[in-house]
Amino acid sequence: MKIQFELNGTTHYVDIDAGESLLNLVRRLGALSARSGCEVGDCGSCTVLLDGRPVRGCITFAAKAQGRVVTTVEGLGTMDDLHPLQQAFLDTGAVQCGYCTPGMILVAYELLTKEEDPTAEQIRDALAGNLCRCTGYRKIVDAVQLAARRKAEGLWR
Amino acid sequence: MRLQGVIRYHRARDTEEALSLLAGYEGAGHMVAGGIDVARFPRTDIEGLIDVTACVPSGVEMSEQGALHIGAASTLTELIESDPVRRYGGGILPEVLQDFSAPPLRNMATLGGAIVSAHPWADVPTLLVALGARLQWTDGTEHGAPLEEVYGGPFRNTFQRAVLTGVKLPPFLGGFAFCKLRRSAADVAMLNAVCGIGLEGGRVQWARVALGATPARGQRLAWLEESLVGESVREELWQEAGREVSGKLDMGSDRRASAQWRRSAAGPLVARTLAHAAQRAGQ
Amino acid sequence: MAVTERNYAVAGHNVTKVDGAALVCGSPKFALDVELPGSLVGKILRSPHAHARIKSIDTAEAESIPGVACVLHHGNVPRIAHTTAGQGWPEPSPYDSFLFDSKVRYVGDQVAAVAAVDERTAEQALRKIRVEYEVLPPVLSLDEALAEGAPVIHDEPDSEGIYDATRNVAAAVDIPVGDVDAALGRAEATVEITCEIPYSQHVPLEPHCVLAYFDEDGRLVLRTSTQVPFHVRRIVARVLDIPMQRIRVIKPRIGGGFGVKQEILLEPVAGALALRARRPVRMAFSREEEFVSSRTRHPMRVRVAVGAGKDGMLQALEMEATSNTGAYGTHALTVLSNTGSKTLPLYNKAPALRFHGRAAYTNLPVAGAYRGYGATQGYFPLEVAMDQLAEALGMDPVDLRLKNHIQEGETSPIFEKIGEGREGVPQVVRSCKLAECLQVGEERFGWREKRAAPRHSGPWSYGVGVACAMQGSGITGIDMGAATIMMTEDGSFRLHAGATDLGTGSDTVLAQIAAEVLGVPVEKVTVYSSDTDFTPFDVGAYASSTTYVSGTAVLRAAQDVRSQILSVAAGALSQPAEDLLLEGERVRAPDGQSLTLAEVGHRAAYVVDQHQIAATASSVPQESPPPFAAFFAEVGVDRETGIVRLERMLGVADCGVALHPDLAQGQLEGAMAQGVGQALFEELGFSQRGRCVTTNLLDYRIPATLDVPDLQAVLLDSYEPSGPLGAKSIAEIGINGPLPALSNAMYHALGVRLTRAPFTPARVLEALEQGR
Repeated sequence: MKIQFELNGTTHYVDIDAGESLLNLVRRLGALSARSGCEVGDCGSCTVLLDGRPVRGCITFAAKAQGRVVTTVEGLGTMDDLHPLQQAFLDTGAVQCGYCTPGMILVAYELLTKEEDPTAEQIRDALAGNLCRCTGYRKIVDAVQLAARRKAEGLWR
Repeated sequence: MRLQGVIRYHRARDTEEALSLLAGYEGAGHMVAGGIDVARFPRTDIEGLIDVTACVPSGVEMSEQGALHIGAASTLTELIESDPVRRYGGGILPEVLQDFSAPPLRNMATLGGAIVSAHPWADVPTLLVALGARLQWTDGTEHGAPLEEVYGGPFRNTFQRAVLTGVKLPPFLGGFAFCKLRRSAADVAMLNAVCGIGLEGGRVQWARVALGATPARGQRLAWLEESLVGESVREELWQEAGREVSGKLDMGSDRRASAQWRRSAAGPLVARTLAHAAQRAGQ
Repeated sequence: MAVTERNYAVAGHNVTKVDGAALVCGSPKFALDVELPGSLVGKILRSPHAHARIKSIDTAEAESIPGVACVLHHGNVPRIAHTTAGQGWPEPSPYDSFLFDSKVRYVGDQVAAVAAVDERTAEQALRKIRVEYEVLPPVLSLDEALAEGAPVIHDEPDSEGIYDATRNVAAAVDIPVGDVDAALGRAEATVEITCEIPYSQHVPLEPHCVLAYFDEDGRLVLRTSTQVPFHVRRIVARVLDIPMQRIRVIKPRIGGGFGVKQEILLEPVAGALALRARRPVRMAFSREEEFVSSRTRHPMRVRVAVGAGKDGMLQALEMEATSNTGAYGTHALTVLSNTGSKTLPLYNKAPALRFHGRAAYTNLPVAGAYRGYGATQGYFPLEVAMDQLAEALGMDPVDLRLKNHIQEGETSPIFEKIGEGREGVPQVVRSCKLAECLQVGEERFGWREKRAAPRHSGPWSYGVGVACAMQGSGITGIDMGAATIMMTEDGSFRLHAGATDLGTGSDTVLAQIAAEVLGVPVEKVTVYSSDTDFTPFDVGAYASSTTYVSGTAVLRAAQDVRSQILSVAAGALSQPAEDLLLEGERVRAPDGQSLTLAEVGHRAAYVVDQHQIAATASSVPQESPPPFAAFFAEVGVDRETGIVRLERMLGVADCGVALHPDLAQGQLEGAMAQGVGQALFEELGFSQRGRCVTTNLLDYRIPATLDVPDLQAVLLDSYEPSGPLGAKSIAEIGINGPLPALSNAMYHALGVRLTRAPFTPARVLEALEQGR
């Protein structure tokens, strides 16, 4: 079947399999930041934004993207032009293997659209379903708080 | 995604179309709203997916009497953020729903989906059973019945051939509380309880006690509720209720917890939840 | 020399991780982010039985399915005994594995493999493979395995290196020092405790995966998620019976390892399928396969007995470990040895010691390398025993550690008696700030006050506990790492290192070492690592070795390049090289003349005496300087439900100079979180017939954000003279603290000792019931 949707600013009109996952779809369209970690939505590596809200790409049907906007970190910034949130993750040392990082960034991005000055508890709540085995989460929480401060200073987009 | 062999994805425009497509698949079709449940569990027998989000209502209305009408396709996030839902019953729904997993799952999971999949460890069945929820569905004809009654029958069969459209929650005067015991923080329950208490003159006027993940799905303990009505409110009343639960209830083992632990922990769980509900009723 | 006096320009600073920008952009750098046209998907058929012989295997129907390229099984591949352990040759693990065997030894064991055009076809083919099994009685516990007359799991004639196959013993160790029984008998205070550590799994977010393909010369290329690219090359060559020269192994970015990828698992299968089909093959473990059919922690039962005088000085220390190595003996001997070798030296005051134990085969998932590598299993009972001893003597647990731990300038007989599956090497501890770790930790934690007055609130009881640990830095005399540094004519450098960055940041740290010596910012060093064609040899990332071993190789290569630069500059400036200074990207002469590094590079490439400024250096460590750490935990326990809540965990460590403080701290934080998981939630469950039933992340809980809300890691100022720029290591030690610290904290809260991990609510209630 065919669907039409927007991925990171580009409109796609594509063939999809009926049972295809959104994760599979975005990956074959080049958004390789969304990854498979567990296949069933428990780890968060597959997180993408659907109309601005984080969802699990691996258990969301690609058909659900019809007429909607999908965002991955490729849509936030590039290596030459990092989004301030991406920069914050670098600045606090929140990235080790990086496998969970895109998912973390997307959930944090949405949180910061709703909360100007999230507490550590609020950040941990929002990220409760994104697993990381490397960092112990402390520096990830620091990164989101740093990003919030920068956003308040007007350094955002 | 563990689903394999799906051939068609349909977007049903109305419930008639959904039902007719379902019938046409003769068992090889499956209805989805958020879709996350069917995607999690490996199935090769589903050939057609019928997306009902366009034909099942979402959204919430509160009646003049304070009853809640919830469209079955409402996502858990929509409900948590909904004003009438927050006002209903001191906010017991958002309190329970916020404990479901994590935001990305809540953004896709629908109330209808949670009711139909009815996982034994889930908190939503325990909550809705305690609140006395009433379901509305159609199989060509409109039906309505208390959730508890539906769960008492062959509901999985029923919902193979019917579209759940809405949930009604009655108004009440009193307090509800929720408590869940789990292994790690964002985990599903080893045991969950939702209790409600209504007070009059320092005595229990009505009581609702639902215990779930025993490992069975949430059920009301009607015998316990009856024993509480008319009693004067005191700490010992809840402790005694807890002891009754530990002593009388049939518990089982599953991957998360043993029957023995459940027998020990269920008592304190119910006692505390009752006390908390009474406290809220008094406010 | 304190770091403040050292004035490092690049080392010791939090430079931006060299791969950081790519990772936050989700840049396609992981193994399966590459698509090759014509690729096949490989899948493995797994045994449904815990113990069985394969009587027959019929693949005709599977092979006839359109889109199936080939099916491999024991009948059509060479039978070559090997170990899957990613260790240096000669691997101190039994050669008891075969690519496909005619016997299966655990539910999930490898029976056959298929390469097909897509996943669906491959799975269809798996279902059509007809296997006839002769089911054998399974051995599903340590006690069953070691019992008289137990079924023999490894009865094949062509395995090598098994300690006693007829008794299911893969490995055994007995290291006595003096007469520990007599010393225990004489001691004024003795304690004894036995702790149990279950099956747990590393849960890297990225499961094992590999892309096997052929380059233009028809050589086999393995782009694989591994910690040990060079061991992969050697062992694949052995198993597939092809020359190493015809194999290239590339490690791209990988999504976590923690030891589970110190193993040669998928590469031989993918390589064999690719060779048979003459097409590229992609393979990845499902999350279920990652749990069941990759590698796990060695479950162990460990008994510790400690004897001391009334003054608290240890006089006798005995540790006995019984280890379950699962169906194959990979890492069996070395993990067992480390259980004693990384723990007993911590308390070197006891003149009488004994470490002994056995590793037994069972028909259960295969245990392998996992962060901590035996030390984790050893510290659990050791640090609980020390807690018991402190109580018996009326001493504060911190004071007991302060009195007994090894100090700078001291040694332990264990260093030379237990090595990597053989005798070790004597060593003297040159840097040890454990006393400061304990003192700084107890102060920050409010230890004495909390210890004196455990608090209660309704059904909740709170308690605090402490534990110490040491680990090692690399494997003395055995590990080898090498690095090549080449100067580019624009004044920048290429660092080619065999060393393996798992996400640990070693590429960055190695770049920092090179940049420090070469007087350039870290951005001027481009790192290319872990490619067997283009980077020199390195054993890989394990044993907390990369900074200490590979870093020393980088240091030496950089020093060599530095003197070559000064030589070239000396010629250009007509000054003696020894008078020249290299810093801030310039070479400066005392008379004020200077050259930029670009000018030096350009001169060497084109102008006079043209030559490539480059050096390759290797490093084999002559000692393994231990990092040290003290852990303080505060826990709350609901006495009525058994629910445990981690309130706070503080780890204070001495890792030598932290070359990248954030990365080092991150290692400590992450390892502590992993340790918390093992202490509170993580355990694989099995059916009565030995099938693992914990195969997804809903059933197997690892710590998420809300589980470790107050995790703090502090690195103390320290300096290791034998380490590159003063560094030791930090990668593993953090995982050793939580088990004993939490058990001790729970004892403080409840008065009962939890000796079986994980400390589930059921075990808490059981312990309270028994009043142990």
